[in-house]
Amino acid sequence: MNSSKWIWRIVSVASIATTLVLLVGFIYAIKDVNAPQVGVENERPSQPIGEGVADSMDKKKEYKIAAIGDSLAKGTGDQTGSGFVKRSVEGLAKSSSKKTTLLNNLGINGLTTDGLVKKLDEEGVQYVLKQSDIIILSIGGNDLFQGAQLLSSAKGKSGETTNTTSTSTVQDVTAEKITSALPKASAQLKVALEKIRTINPDSYIIYVGLYNPFGDMKELKVVGNEAVTKWNNVALTTINKYENMTLVPTFDLFTHNLKRYLSTDHFHPNAEGYQQIANRIVQGIE
Amino acid sequence: MSNILPLIQNECIKIIKKKRFYVVLLVLLVLVPIFTYAQMRSSELSRDKFNGDWRLELQQQITDNQNSLGSDRIPEEWKKYRLIFVQQLQYYLDHNVNPKEPNGVTFTREFMDNSINLFIPLLIMAIASDIVSGERTTGTIKMLLTRPVKRWKVLLSKMITMIMFVSLIIFSTFAISYLISGAFFGYVGFNIPVFTGFQISGSNVDMSAVHAVPQWEYLLMQCGLIWFVAVTVALLAFMVSVLVKSTAASIVVMMAALIAGTILTNMASAWTSAKYLFMVNLQLTNYLAGTPAPIEGMNLNFSLIVLGIWALVSVVVSFTVFTKRDILN
Amino acid sequence: MDNIVLSVEHVHKKIGKKMIIKDVTFDVREGEIFGFLGPNGAGKTTTIRMLVDLIKPSSGTIKVYGYDVNRDQENALQYVGSIVENPEVYTYLTGWENLEHFARMQSGVEEARIQEVVDIVRLDQRIHDKVRTYSLGMRQRLGIAQALLGRPKLLILDEPTNGLDPKGIKELRLFIRKLAEEGLAVLVSSHLLSEIQLLCDRVAIISQGSILAVGEVNELVSQNADYVIWEMEPLSEGEIILSQFEGVHLVESAESVLDDSLIAGMSVNSVVTQNEEGIIPAILLRLVKAGIAVKGVNKINPTLEQLFLQMTEGENIE
Repeated sequence: MNSSKWIWRIVSVASIATTLVLLVGFIYAIKDVNAPQVGVENERPSQPIGEGVADSMDKKKEYKIAAIGDSLAKGTGDQTGSGFVKRSVEGLAKSSSKKTTLLNNLGINGLTTDGLVKKLDEEGVQYVLKQSDIIILSIGGNDLFQGAQLLSSAKGKSGETTNTTSTSTVQDVTAEKITSALPKASAQLKVALEKIRTINPDSYIIYVGLYNPFGDMKELKVVGNEAVTKWNNVALTTINKYENMTLVPTFDLFTHNLKRYLSTDHFHPNAEGYQQIANRIVQGIE
Repeated sequence: MSNILPLIQNECIKIIKKKRFYVVLLVLLVLVPIFTYAQMRSSELSRDKFNGDWRLELQQQITDNQNSLGSDRIPEEWKKYRLIFVQQLQYYLDHNVNPKEPNGVTFTREFMDNSINLFIPLLIMAIASDIVSGERTTGTIKMLLTRPVKRWKVLLSKMITMIMFVSLIIFSTFAISYLISGAFFGYVGFNIPVFTGFQISGSNVDMSAVHAVPQWEYLLMQCGLIWFVAVTVALLAFMVSVLVKSTAASIVVMMAALIAGTILTNMASAWTSAKYLFMVNLQLTNYLAGTPAPIEGMNLNFSLIVLGIWALVSVVVSFTVFTKRDILN
Repeated sequence: MDNIVLSVEHVHKKIGKKMIIKDVTFDVREGEIFGFLGPNGAGKTTTIRMLVDLIKPSSGTIKVYGYDVNRDQENALQYVGSIVENPEVYTYLTGWENLEHFARMQSGVEEARIQEVVDIVRLDQRIHDKVRTYSLGMRQRLGIAQALLGRPKLLILDEPTNGLDPKGIKELRLFIRKLAEEGLAVLVSSHLLSEIQLLCDRVAIISQGSILAVGEVNELVSQNADYVIWEMEPLSEGEIILSQFEGVHLVESAESVLDDSLIAGMSVNSVVTQNEEGIIPAILLRLVKAGIAVKGVNKINPTLEQLFLQMTEGENIE
């Protein structure tokens, strides 16, 4: 009948011990937050980062795909959210007997070539790219059509943007702006492509060419077309230098089908437009 | 005359014999496996999605958050929050450290982190809300106070006992969480480096003070902060327990305050004086993890002082009321 | 007036705006059983709670052996054992654990003493069972054991017979007597007048917060003249003789002075009188001479009930 004595002994010893430990932790936490000991990074021996397999495309048992770039890579404008990335992964899975996995979609709305070059320095991005067999890149649209950013963000607010209203906004995208942005941006594109090549020399890089979303507007049709063509040419010259790198053209796809393939923001493709791009990507891989 | 130690002994025996502490343990034993299972499922799911590679998952998380930063429809505070989050994830990625490596210790760390503002206070209340009002409900308070012992000694013994059990509850939460989750994820992970020292200034994270500590050390600091929060909540619940006659009523009062706290934390920022409320300051471990505080101007020292003042006031109120009050029934 | 254990002087208690206790003063001495009598709501329990420091008086002093109960609890209350209202003990502990619990709150109570009080209240059979399983009588005994634990000089029992069966009440009465003989002062409160009369040496009568009278039970009783119930035939003639007799006073309405139980047992041919001491034989002689058949003469000792009725003038008593 001495249970109460034992309860007392156990409870008192245990609680005093834990209270002391917790107090130590508490004081330690205050110290650490208020006066952090800088530089005592006991770096863990970093695991060997998995290197991309250096086999040629055909021999590979599976396709690991990564996408990087702007809102097109992300799939903005596609109501289903798939974009051309998911669509091409699906298409590839169907047409080839190989296992196809999407590693990551690193598309970020509004990314420019500048942003891309910076992003390629990030450890995580490099890691993803190193693992990939196929890298799909989409960039440049934001460099050329700066003001169009306004349009893409306005898309959610008015479901049905008519051509007339959008023309007024598009006035910002002046011809001069487009042409003036060209030289610098295309130089950056070159840098980016080369960087990706260095990060993963064995992957198959697919660059998605630009189209002119303003082909149906008098003021911008000519300038736009010219700029896009120039841009695509610059891209091609870089791409041609490397093996395992290709440009998937979209200019011709959209030129006469803007109404059919563009989403309501009049800048990004819609689901059907993305599907068309995806089809071409799949063709480009096979 | 009589020493305080036997009184503490009495209170300990009563709590154990009343099976209050068992209830707490039982709740933990039932709930922790559920959380563990949920965690297991979610980590299985992400393993399927990202080829079992946490770097890919982390990178996608970063990308997703960066995308939402671009949208105009997201409120500014959220953007700030996400920007900080992205920067932290980036740091982990750059240093090749998996912040969520699934193992028993990491699970425990996350579990403790998530329980600090509601779950642990709830467990504490199982004991703290009953320790005085329980005696009044049953009338045993009369027996207690007609003995030749000063009232403040009776109350002090109860308070000390309660703090002892607060420590035990936190330890039990840790132990049960570790033992159960370890069975699923493995009992390793005490030495994994965890980064701390993210200092948030405005919308930027100051990384200069960031350093890695082994996870056990992080856990120790975390539990220390949880202990402080728990003691504060316990003292508040204790005061309510002195003021209110029924245990049920005192639990309801405390629960309402705590839930109001979580709601306020989520609404946050606009009403800045809310930062002086105790329930907004419960998430002390956020300062360790570098999560931005819900209201501008809050930091660890501020929260500690706010909680400390609330605790002190409850102690003063408890003793004043308890020593003066007439026991009428 | 030596050996005063408890002295209560001019105690008032105000709760809210209402004066609950007004100027209560009395003493309790060693070895006596002191009754505290009053109807429910008269202030008995409030007063008793003040004696054990559950309630602080608004003014006045309560002292045990000279130590102020409200200021110097640790010295004053060590002499006091009490049960306030019901014996509330911890039902989730065993009887023994309860006693251990209260023993720890006081110095000098060893395990041997616990065993001693368990033997005194004869609970040794069930002492290691959970109190939850105890009957009310057993809980009462455990409460008394708890009160005796610290070898008190003053035992305060609030309505101790509540919920006990007649056998239990009788046992308790004998038990309290025994304790008093050993030198303990016992204060017993009750709303049952017969109980006080059977048990107590002295009594304080309280009503509406004030003490109406304090004194020896016998003294208070003898202050009141005797009543006599006459049963005779023919009644009317007898009544005439009684009314003419010197020192006899006919009581018009018997209900106002006698217990209901007595009135119920009275035959139709009865009359109640109030007499001077020692004149019953003379009256009897006169009645017999007049040829009246006296069937019964019943002298009624006044009860505390009557006393109380007179003092409180008809306030309701249970």
